[in-house]
Amino acid sequence: METILEILAEVKPGLDLSSETELVDSGILDSMAIIQLVARLSDEFDVEITPVDLVPENFNSVQAIEAMIRRLED
Amino acid sequence: MTYDSYLFFAAYALIVLGIYLLFPLKYRWTVLLGAGALFCGFLNGPVALWVLACAGFAYVSARHLTTLQDRFAKEKKDLSKDERKALKARYTRRKKWTAAGGIVGALSILLVLKYCNFFIGQINPLLSLFGVTEGIPFLSLALPMGISYYTLQAIGYIIDTYRGVCRAEKNFFKLLLFVSFFPQMTEGPIARYGQLAPQLTEGHRYSNENFTGGVTLILWGFFKKIVISDRASFMASEVFDNSASYGTFALITAAVLYTVQLYTDFSGCIDIMSGTARMFGIRLPENFRQPFFSHSVGEFWRRWHISLGTWFKDYVFYSVSLSAPFMKLSKAASAKLNKFLAALLPSSCALLIVWLGTGLWHGADMKYVVYGLYYFLIMFLGSLVDPLGAKAAQKWGFDRKKGVFGALAVARTILLVIIGMIMFRAGSLEEFANYLWGIVSRVNYGELTGGVLLCLGTDTPDFIVIGAGAVMMLIVGIMKERGTDVLQTVAKGPIYIKWSVMLGLIAVILVFGAYGPNYGPVDNIYAQF
Repeated sequence: METILEILAEVKPGLDLSSETELVDSGILDSMAIIQLVARLSDEFDVEITPVDLVPENFNSVQAIEAMIRRLED
Repeated sequence: MTYDSYLFFAAYALIVLGIYLLFPLKYRWTVLLGAGALFCGFLNGPVALWVLACAGFAYVSARHLTTLQDRFAKEKKDLSKDERKALKARYTRRKKWTAAGGIVGALSILLVLKYCNFFIGQINPLLSLFGVTEGIPFLSLALPMGISYYTLQAIGYIIDTYRGVCRAEKNFFKLLLFVSFFPQMTEGPIARYGQLAPQLTEGHRYSNENFTGGVTLILWGFFKKIVISDRASFMASEVFDNSASYGTFALITAAVLYTVQLYTDFSGCIDIMSGTARMFGIRLPENFRQPFFSHSVGEFWRRWHISLGTWFKDYVFYSVSLSAPFMKLSKAASAKLNKFLAALLPSSCALLIVWLGTGLWHGADMKYVVYGLYYFLIMFLGSLVDPLGAKAAQKWGFDRKKGVFGALAVARTILLVIIGMIMFRAGSLEEFANYLWGIVSRVNYGELTGGVLLCLGTDTPDFIVIGAGAVMMLIVGIMKERGTDVLQTVAKGPIYIKWSVMLGLIAVILVFGAYGPNYGPVDNIYAQF
């Protein structure tokens, strides 16, 4: 969780996103930001994130991102 | 589209609906298929041929993709992890070739018919540099209406099958219906297979709510198109076609009017098409979501022509960004740049490809390439400075989307969009530059006091009608932004309210529509793409 928050802070500096639950739906994370996030997440957690995974439900909150990473690690 | 053809379309849709309801539920989709085939005939004979070819490529490719998927699922059982990995790599390669074959096939029709002469025009000057005086002759090819829409829809289907998002349709005619559903053939919206195909084939019963909801949406679309767009078109054309004769204020007014024209033309047509589909109980994807309330250009494009934007995002931007070369670029950038720039660079390269594609999708002309680059540059620069804005907002405790800052952000977005619209409307890049120069250099205050603005080819009442129409749209837009869809609330309301609104809209269209000797019917701008 901490690592994901750090990566989020790199992509979207200056925002507290720890309790956000609509990161994509509210427009905080646009497609550019999602791709930047994916590049860092893939690197950090050594997972393969494919276009099928790039749906709002997987990126709307830190918890959702964490759940996706866990799923992909399995 | 002429007014006769609007009436024709409405009558056609009603007759098709009547026949649709006469058929047993299970076979109702065949009526829609027949209606699509007949509609192709009305549009232009060869359209049917291209639709058929496009569906053919999608069908063969997707069927093979699903077969490969099934074979892989069967063969991977009882294998070790490494063996499974190797098998997956083998099947992924085969799937990639299969999908590429289908995509190239479908795309080649579009490339030849739409872009052939554009590329010849780019190659010939290069040939002349090498002494080849007789360049490649230009081809005389007619661009079938709507080809850019159904081709993208078919390609989306192939990619979805490749990704395993959906399974291939076994019945060719059902797939053909997905590619040729008549309300969306000329201007979209570009739908996804999983979203639209089940609705098309399942068969719907008549529903009062769907019928009145559909009719209200159609009338609202006609209102936007006939009352506002065609009237604004007449005034904008007067200035754009004689821009050298006008000064700053007339040029700005015409640019605003053209923006209103394009929005009401395209969104009005989409309302007509979505309303028609709704009468059959079919929901088409949303294509506009109050775009002029956007706080940034990026947000504007997430609210304007949504189905095209999401198509490029899902099938081009994500595919390119997550491809092996881009992931390598990302890693290389991480090693050499700071974290922010390292993350921004690869996604910006992918964004550039998307915007070149989006520009060219709008037309085979260098003007559209620059149009795409214009939006790419704005978004790229926006991404660069966005962190500074976020930090400033945090430091001084203001919300960038509310109050004065929010209003300024919306105004800035509208200004940038209007500049883009001038480029879109101008005949060439030179005309665009001259138009902008005219705005800057020909300040003539006499235009404000001498009544020039009120008689741009028409007269004061036209401005009043456009102004009143725009206010109506604004109110409906604000309410929708706040969660109330006025049109759907009306459709669900008591019978006297919905009929009053429908009859009221008919009366407004008949009384205030841009008919008569001063006007001519205006073609739907987005139908030519």
